[in-house]
Amino acid sequence: MTALLSVEASTKRFGGLLANRDVSLTMDPGEIVGLIGPNGAGKTTLFNCISGYMHPDTGRIVFDGRDITHTRPERICHAGVARTWQVVRAFGRMSALENVVCGALQRTNRIAEARARARELLEFTELRGKDDMPAATLTLADKKRLEIARALATRPKLLLLDEAMSGLTPMETAAAVRLVRRIHAELEVTICVVEHVMEVVMPLSHRVVVLDYGVKIADGTPDAIVRDEQVIRAYLGERHAAR
Amino acid sequence: MARIALIIGALAAVLYPIPLQIQGTTYYQTVGFLVFVNAMLGLGWNVIGGWAGQFDFGPQVFFAVGAYTAALLYVKLGVDAWLGLPIAAAVAALICAVLTYPLTRLRGHYFAISTVAIWMIAQPIGATWEYIGAAQGLFIPVKPRSNVVSAALSLQFAGPTKALGYYYAALALFALTLGLMAWVERSKLGFYFRAIRDDQEAAEGIGIDSRLYKVIARSITAAVFGAAGVLYAFWALSVFPEQVLELNWSTLPIMATVVGGIGRLWGPVLGAVILIPISQIMSTTLGTGPLAGRGIDLIVYGLIIVVIAAFRPTGLLSLPWARWFGRRRSALA
Repeated sequence: MTALLSVEASTKRFGGLLANRDVSLTMDPGEIVGLIGPNGAGKTTLFNCISGYMHPDTGRIVFDGRDITHTRPERICHAGVARTWQVVRAFGRMSALENVVCGALQRTNRIAEARARARELLEFTELRGKDDMPAATLTLADKKRLEIARALATRPKLLLLDEAMSGLTPMETAAAVRLVRRIHAELEVTICVVEHVMEVVMPLSHRVVVLDYGVKIADGTPDAIVRDEQVIRAYLGERHAAR
Repeated sequence: MARIALIIGALAAVLYPIPLQIQGTTYYQTVGFLVFVNAMLGLGWNVIGGWAGQFDFGPQVFFAVGAYTAALLYVKLGVDAWLGLPIAAAVAALICAVLTYPLTRLRGHYFAISTVAIWMIAQPIGATWEYIGAAQGLFIPVKPRSNVVSAALSLQFAGPTKALGYYYAALALFALTLGLMAWVERSKLGFYFRAIRDDQEAAEGIGIDSRLYKVIARSITAAVFGAAGVLYAFWALSVFPEQVLELNWSTLPIMATVVGGIGRLWGPVLGAVILIPISQIMSTTLGTGPLAGRGIDLIVYGLIIVVIAAFRPTGLLSLPWARWFGRRRSALA
């Protein structure tokens, strides 16, 4: 199977800081990939490079057979990558429905069609009844769902979720995990989740990629990852490594 | 309720100048003309400033471009005003697109400053370019028209019906602009403009080319300003730099938009209906008194802006009118 996304030796430097160093990874169609790592490991930088908000200094990013290394975000969205944000970026003064309509207009010019699609997605993300609420007035959990609905409205092949569950209560987190599973199963979207909460990533992901200090240190099934020496060292420190 | 208000407003706008015509107080028809010119400009500015959220303090450049284009077409080629009007609007939009594309790299205050800079550059160009008459500008000769129809068709009203004619011309252009803006607001453009205003990064993430849509927004603004400039040029029968590049051609519509409700279709209309008569009536009533001289109206404007900014920064339209005047909901329901 050819990979949907392949990142080839991507390096991104901010002054003296190497945020990503020679990071290579692939995502196959239909996968849920967990991207984890301690704070400052370079996860969001990698997301920014894939979605076009930053461009790697060296290396290459290929999506769906197309080189998108230096492509702008709106073109990458058009190619089929959608993302959400670690700190939510809803269109605060627009209603929830209008937020999603903006996404749907990526694939149609007809407002009525975009509205219908947006309603479906609000229903899908369990935001029904909140259509007319200004996005700024929604709860954090609802804003995160709204971002997901808006991203899905662009009909992505690959969905990048940047900490879609951080800051949520345990119940909200469980609901968000269910939503990610439904997106994967019902909409057949390949998903990459950046997450801190291990109890969320491990059962959800088919495969986990671990970054530490900008370098990929592990890539494998969740079972293999939790036993990986280097990963344990990165997360728990040297003392726990040999156990 | 809104529909009734709309019908009453439209009737009032159409019938307003008729008793004045019979009475012979055409001055108040000219006040009405200026209300609609400024309402139209406000509708135009609302696209870039209200929906797209980019503060543009230099749209008067395109008012001047429109006025000069139509005047040149008329004086040099004999092209009538109504034919010159769409050409002038298109030229204004095109020049705006070329000038604005590089500016869209700038954001926030820096974008605003750069629009002012373009206006400052336009002033010496207007004052020294011989082809467009330099500081003297261009004069638009009135050709004698045999009847009202030919006067209306050439946008050249003279004599006792001059103020009346321009009033209806301004009303017609205003209504056309309002209709177009109502369409823009509900179209893909309206959604994309507001998305960029609320969060440019997020907008790009869902496939919106922010630079392209900012250029489109400002070009729509420029087209409206250009069209209004044509109307003004034929009313004033002259175009010269100090007049068409005057700062008031942006500050009045911007103030009207902010007072009425920025980012709302009817905001600039309400604002113009409130603000423009204040300045006109004050400058005439105070004309012979001890407070004579210009400037008092600006103090009053300043106070209105301060009050609105302090108590209702989203504008008068955002007040709960429906709750005050709408159908009363039953307390039992």
